[in-house]
Amino acid sequence: MTEPTTSLDRLGDALESAARADLSSKARADRPRRHRFSTRVAIAVAVLVVLIPGVALAASRLIGTDAVEQSLPAGTLALAGTSPTCTVVVQDVEYLCALERAPAPEVSDWKGTVEPTVDATKHVNGGCRSLTSDGREWRCYLGQAAVDQQIIGPDFLGEYAPSPGVG
Amino acid sequence: MTTDADLIRASRSDADAFRLVYDRYAARVYGFHLGRTRDADAAHDLTAETFAQAWLARHTFRDQAGGSAGPWLFGIARHVLSASVRCGRLEQTACTRLGIRERLEREPATAEPDETWLDGLDEALAELPEGQLDAIRLRYVHDLPYEELAGALDTTPQAARVRVHRGLSALRLRLNPSKENT
Repeated sequence: MTEPTTSLDRLGDALESAARADLSSKARADRPRRHRFSTRVAIAVAVLVVLIPGVALAASRLIGTDAVEQSLPAGTLALAGTSPTCTVVVQDVEYLCALERAPAPEVSDWKGTVEPTVDATKHVNGGCRSLTSDGREWRCYLGQAAVDQQIIGPDFLGEYAPSPGVG
Repeated sequence: MTTDADLIRASRSDADAFRLVYDRYAARVYGFHLGRTRDADAAHDLTAETFAQAWLARHTFRDQAGGSAGPWLFGIARHVLSASVRCGRLEQTACTRLGIRERLEREPATAEPDETWLDGLDEALAELPEGQLDAIRLRYVHDLPYEELAGALDTTPQAARVRVHRGLSALRLRLNPSKENT
């Protein structure tokens, strides 16, 4: 019934090698980057943004409420199947979400409970705090706002989260 | 001996530490997947994906089992298995991301996941004696420390710890009868 040891050993070697490469690539990515734009170019961009607000808006895609609604169950297994509906409080920053169905009864009182949210690429993109004991109303924050609200730690934001959290 | 929890903490910047965790659990995780799939190649690939996901998610590990990574790893294993059945193909997102497939000199498994792979997963939990089921639920679902768990079960913290351990062992045996508990 057991896999030949050599096969699992080879898998271990492959995993170890991949892990080393992953650490190396992260170390490279963490190195400070030199500024590539000259001051003159930077000033020109700033002037453009001030003069033409539409440029700035077009440059960053707004996050839809559907993306936030999907981020809730993706971050927490207990919220799977709860069908959240979110409304914008502050675009791309703060959302109010109501759940059609109560979450799994893992917690007797959800009020004040905080949970991370995970985007479609399986990276932590924010977090939510339950406003009610039954866990059907949540206030959610995206990005740094979730860190500022002490829902998630700064190291956790942007981390890979392939499966919803449990417990 | 260094605990799993210590190794996983160290593995944030040390691939060797993660290898040690792999060496401790690879056979058992493989056994779990083989028990569900009855397909050696599929079990191998699901094991690869389980550990690849564990590597990518190692920062989320929280020591909730006295230093053991077992419940966490088997939780990931179960998720990988369920996701594969749900999608109708073997989950390989993390392996692809880490480039593990390219490092392995073997063809990907061709098995097509089906619902029978999930048979008995929930039943195994339901079959536990009530005391053990309560202990496991309070420990891992409600996250109670052993002192509070003991209060809830009207027993001592030591007895509560034993009950959780026995429950996990029983669960492991039910899910993977070919492997002795550890």
